[in-house]
Amino acid sequence: MSDLAARQAALVAALVCGGAPPAGFDPDRLRAATAALLRKRAGEVAATWPLLAASLTPHWTARFTAWAAGRPPAGPLRDGWDLARQLLAAGSLTGAAPEELAARESWWRYDGVRPPRPRRWPAIGRAGPVAVLRLGDRIFRLPRRRGSRNTKTG
Amino acid sequence: MSRYGVGIGWRPQISGFVAGLPGLRFTEVVAESLPRRGPLPAALRELRARGVAVVPHGVKLSLGGAWPVEAGRVAHLARCASRLGAPLVSEHIAFVRAGGLEAGHLLPVPRSREALDALVANVRRAQAELPVPLALEPVAALFDWPDSQLSEADFITEVLDLTGALLLLDIANVYANARNRGEEPTALLDALPLERVAYVHMAGGAEHDGLYHDTHTAPTPPAVLDLVAELCSRHRPPALLLERDGGWPPAAELAAELDAIAAAAGVPAIT
Repeated sequence: MSDLAARQAALVAALVCGGAPPAGFDPDRLRAATAALLRKRAGEVAATWPLLAASLTPHWTARFTAWAAGRPPAGPLRDGWDLARQLLAAGSLTGAAPEELAARESWWRYDGVRPPRPRRWPAIGRAGPVAVLRLGDRIFRLPRRRGSRNTKTG
Repeated sequence: MSRYGVGIGWRPQISGFVAGLPGLRFTEVVAESLPRRGPLPAALRELRARGVAVVPHGVKLSLGGAWPVEAGRVAHLARCASRLGAPLVSEHIAFVRAGGLEAGHLLPVPRSREALDALVANVRRAQAELPVPLALEPVAALFDWPDSQLSEADFITEVLDLTGALLLLDIANVYANARNRGEEPTALLDALPLERVAYVHMAGGAEHDGLYHDTHTAPTPPAVLDLVAELCSRHRPPALLLERDGGWPPAAELAAELDAIAAAAGVPAIT
């Protein structure tokens, strides 16, 4: 790796992974840049996951940035997905956010590691007690199963 | 680029507002927001049909990265230009990823010889595949690299000289950087080759913890409009474009902002 490549990599790691600030940079300015990146990311994820963001309003930006700090950006689709699944597992995915998550689960196959891949056929998506059936691009809410709990999906 | 006057960046959220501007002659679209396959958004096709120029604006090429620019990203930008019949395309003097990590925003490059060489090599790789001229935009930076060998004006001028690229001057970035560095923004205007400016960006921002952030989510502040007038008194650019990416105001407020830009630049209003 060239010197420039190593220095750029160290800078990005410091900004998005909480790595040590590279020598010579103003640490206060890098902290300001990290905070600005997190705010921008919160806005992009909110645009992609409006119901998730609405379910955490008025604390969305604070909750998202606390979750995302030190976690490299995976793009708004995956960032929102990972947060929604984590909230679901903790029993704290509220409002209309479970339906939004279930709909996403019906559109894409996502293992939490690799980028989501579109599902081509009709599919059922689940988020805890909420299940939806997707036929083409239409989403149907399925009746709640008796005794179902917040279970991990995907 | 011929004389286009004032424009506004096309975004799906303000598609109707943009379509309703009677004097609009040019707009810009984020290249990465356009589909790789399938038709272009109908609203953009309608703008093209009435003769509005649409400039694809890349944000993820990472031309300033130490790594060679990705061929697929350049090919997409080139395809956008061809499909839109664009007079030119634009990208940034910045990098957005390194070491396998995405930063999520435009980061400044060090003003060193090594960084200049890497940037020039990437610009040339892109130019070889692009069907139209490329304009390069210096970015707003909240921090500087510690060991600059060149002034900002010298670095920009040298990149333009070595590549033949045009300059996309973001006057709000000039304002933000000068304010955050405690410098005079007009000093950079005096030192840049203004005759190379293809068009100008402007936008509003917000202050956090004593620093000015170029967020594109607020109205263009009076100080930036003053700087537009300063620029135009030195050399009026062929086109000026307002960028708005959120905090959408009512249509009347956005129209008034476009009028204020036209007045500051001394060009006809488009509303």
